[in-house]
Amino acid sequence: MTLDQIASRLSTAFSETFADWGTIFKILMQGIGYTLAVFAVTIVLSIPLGLLLTFASRSRIAPLRWLTRGYVFVIRGTPLMLQLFFVYFGLPFLPVIGPYLKLGRLAAANIAFVLNYAAYFCEIFRGGLLSIDRGQYEAAKVLGFGRFRTMMQIILPQMIKVALPSVANETITLVKDTALVSVIGLSDLMELSKKLVNSMVNVTPYIIAAMIYLVLIFGLTKLFEQLEKKAAY
Amino acid sequence: MIKTIGLKKSFADNHVLCGVDLHIKQGEIVAVIGPSGSGKSTFLRSLIGLERIDAGSILIEGKPLVEDGRYPSERTCQKICSGMGMVFQHFNLFPHMSVRGNLTAAPLAAKKMTLDEANTKCADLLARVGLADKIDAMPSSLSGGQKQRVAIARALMMDPAILLFDEPTSALDPELTGEVLAVMKSLTNTGITMVIVTHEMAFAREVADRVIFMDGGIVAIDDKPDAVFDAPANERLKSFLRAL
Repeated sequence: MTLDQIASRLSTAFSETFADWGTIFKILMQGIGYTLAVFAVTIVLSIPLGLLLTFASRSRIAPLRWLTRGYVFVIRGTPLMLQLFFVYFGLPFLPVIGPYLKLGRLAAANIAFVLNYAAYFCEIFRGGLLSIDRGQYEAAKVLGFGRFRTMMQIILPQMIKVALPSVANETITLVKDTALVSVIGLSDLMELSKKLVNSMVNVTPYIIAAMIYLVLIFGLTKLFEQLEKKAAY
Repeated sequence: MIKTIGLKKSFADNHVLCGVDLHIKQGEIVAVIGPSGSGKSTFLRSLIGLERIDAGSILIEGKPLVEDGRYPSERTCQKICSGMGMVFQHFNLFPHMSVRGNLTAAPLAAKKMTLDEANTKCADLLARVGLADKIDAMPSSLSGGQKQRVAIARALMMDPAILLFDEPTSALDPELTGEVLAVMKSLTNTGITMVIVTHEMAFAREVADRVIFMDGGIVAIDDKPDAVFDAPANERLKSFLRAL
């Protein structure tokens, strides 16, 4: 075989393997809507819900504390995939209320993700609160701050700084976890790349999907770097 | 100004306060000394509601903060303690706020002052503790002595009638205690009633009108500084002073 022949074979092989980057990218981008939707809804709702759970877990009302601890235990103790299946396939089987709980795929995915991530954020914020010195509460008290003002003006700003790296970590995990919605049949980025790979018998769609995830996560990493700089004191 | 009757407090089996009776008059400067574990910090903290006592009564400016071990509502406690300020061993500045923020947050939150009034008073008080140039600094950039002086200025923002000091120089490097003690000394002629838990005996002797020696959860000695330091009447006090 001459050098020319080798070169031509290689180039054919290359173009067969990495065929139609543009087309594949366009098809995959049709799935990114679901990926981003689940991501955005989960972040926007699970962070406030997680904070509420944190307050509940430190409430003076004991049953509220137990309920929160139990909730976090169940959510952290079971797979997110199981929770997804349960919300989408399982809820309609519940007696009496079941028929009213037939959810669309996207709604089911959003609910399962928000409930799941709220439990994790609750634990992150709880850890952040534990790191704050008792002296901060005491100083606020002797200066006449009430409970609410102490929390909003003194404790939360310090807690956010402590919690931010963990929140960043959780947020990045969430981007990748959204790939799980494919198991209830949502045509997200992951699901479309899998279908393309199967039909093309070619690995390129996985590579492109990986690059899209990486770009998303690169953006988030930069965003959190900025936030951490802002929260530093 | 402050009256305590039979204060008792235990942590589990540890009896920290075993019946503390004390009457502090308006404008008095009282130093509280004693070995560690004698209950002096717990006593001081109970005066401002940071520790809840088990039995006894505390009257602040004639109003009961606690009566026979029973506390009124949190709001009432807060109101009764509103005339008191406190300076902590570990400063407890708010690390996320500038020096200005630390000083003005409380009076603004309580709507005690307008923003202009708070800023003016903040600048005045910082000048008084010698830190006018640090008004926009963050606490993390200050030395321990500077932090404690900011903490004193912060307590003064609320115009307290009573100021409590809980070992204000114990967390400082020895060369930084002087600047804090000087600021505290400058407050002694302002009419503010001061109760100071301290290990600085020379300072106690110099500024205090009365020295309280606490031992085993009670007031063992309550006398003029000269009497306490020159002619200690009690074996425990003698050995305590010798050990310093």
